Amino acid sequence: MSASHSPSRLVSELEPLLQVNQVAKYYGERIGCEDISFTLWPGEVLGIVGESGSGKSTLLRCLAGLDTPSHGEVLFRHGGGMVDIFSLPEATRRAMMRTEWGIVHQNPRDGLRMDVSAGGNVGERLMDRGDRHFGAIRTSAGDWLSRVEIDKSRIDDRPRQFSGGMQQRLQIARVLVSEPRLVFMDEPTGGLDVSVQARLLDLLRVLVRDLGIAAVIVTHDLAVARLLTDRLMVMKDGHVVEQGLTDQVLDDPHHAYTQLLASAVLAA
Amino acid sequence: MIPMLEAKQVSKAFTLHNQGGVTLPVLNNIGFTVHRGEALVLQGPSGVGKSTLLRILYGNYRPSTGHVMVRHGESMVDIVHADPRLVLQVRRKTLSYVSQFLRVIPRVSTLDIVKDPMLGRGVPDGEATLRAQNLLARLNLPERLWALPPSTFSGGEQQRVNIARSFVDPTEVMLLDEPTASLDAGNRTVVVELINEAREKGASIIGIFHDEAVRDSVATRSLDLTPLKVAA
Repeated sequence: MSASHSPSRLVSELEPLLQVNQVAKYYGERIGCEDISFTLWPGEVLGIVGESGSGKSTLLRCLAGLDTPSHGEVLFRHGGGMVDIFSLPEATRRAMMRTEWGIVHQNPRDGLRMDVSAGGNVGERLMDRGDRHFGAIRTSAGDWLSRVEIDKSRIDDRPRQFSGGMQQRLQIARVLVSEPRLVFMDEPTGGLDVSVQARLLDLLRVLVRDLGIAAVIVTHDLAVARLLTDRLMVMKDGHVVEQGLTDQVLDDPHHAYTQLLASAVLAA
Repeated sequence: MIPMLEAKQVSKAFTLHNQGGVTLPVLNNIGFTVHRGEALVLQGPSGVGKSTLLRILYGNYRPSTGHVMVRHGESMVDIVHADPRLVLQVRRKTLSYVSQFLRVIPRVSTLDIVKDPMLGRGVPDGEATLRAQNLLARLNLPERLWALPPSTFSGGEQQRVNIARSFVDPTEVMLLDEPTASLDAGNRTVVVELINEAREKGASIIGIFHDEAVRDSVATRSLDLTPLKVAA
């Protein structure tokens, strides 16, 4: 993989892509997440770290439109302005979830159709977008399989015949083929062994940068956060306890919890 | 005399919450200005806070008080308080930090690592490749290694990859934390030349060098952090 830069990352973008205001999610009395506000700009990669149960996946589900927040708003740039995705009709939001942003789930089974071929999984997204020419869709699907380093000869195989790492790469191709402006990732390397992780991380790093897409990545792995993200939010008990540039937060943590996290890893 | 970096009343104390909340004061009220084409060398015994100061200038550590103003294009940006997006832009174009350690990215070749910052600044791929190759050769890194990721290289080889990456397209302000440590004499001479060439082309250098000979051949000024006085 080359390490070429997309010129789009050089442009100083004046308009935010995503604006999150005071988002909270409650499960009865229990706090999932609370008082979350931030702005994400085109091409920016935001990491959300914290241990299991800190509310980071809950937050991600609210941002991606999979869950409705109990309070607050999630504004997405759409048609020249910022729209609250939860004020939109369900069908419109669903359509945006397939075209404007994408979601890479921790478990590829949640993001793939296991009984549809690899080519079909990728091509389906292009058909959602309105592409109709079968030959062109198949060619594009094949190209995307190569980009995520799956041999084109596997295009007609079903994902259940793939290894875990291949399934995850296929899921990424399925999400990126429709060229979303924003990608949400929930522990994208969770459950993969270390060598496969390294390969996937490099792939993600290059894809995100070359395509200039913005991303929100939830992870408990600080090394993953350092490699992939520009900015970091640290969550504990549903709240953001510290945020800033990724290298700042990891190298000079100020909050007690972040200091504990940063000192608990061997080398991040 | 164009000021390129101004540190104003910079103080830093580390509070270790998980070790009984103990506070370690490191820097107290540091201030200086570095102009275009100057090389300021930070001096003082180990532990006096030279590396901490350098990291604060880069925006990697957050000072307890103070400002760090860096000339970025037409404006002066306060690295301490600027929006993270702006700090990243300043780092991409204007301000670089060079240590003796290379942060290896899995699977990325040596040549691509060296080209990467140039491509990020819009240098065409062909030119970036040529310049990267020339500098790797000048730093005596064998050509057979260029296509390989440096994860398996020796410490000294990785260090030279890191130096090539930083000096192939020098930024206007460069922060150097012991870039020549543990290099052999031949390569150390090349690095000293690179630093001086960058400075003569207008770069401002702030650095830490333990090797006295290197320090003397690089510095135009020095700042001793121990008793806090600026020597001429």
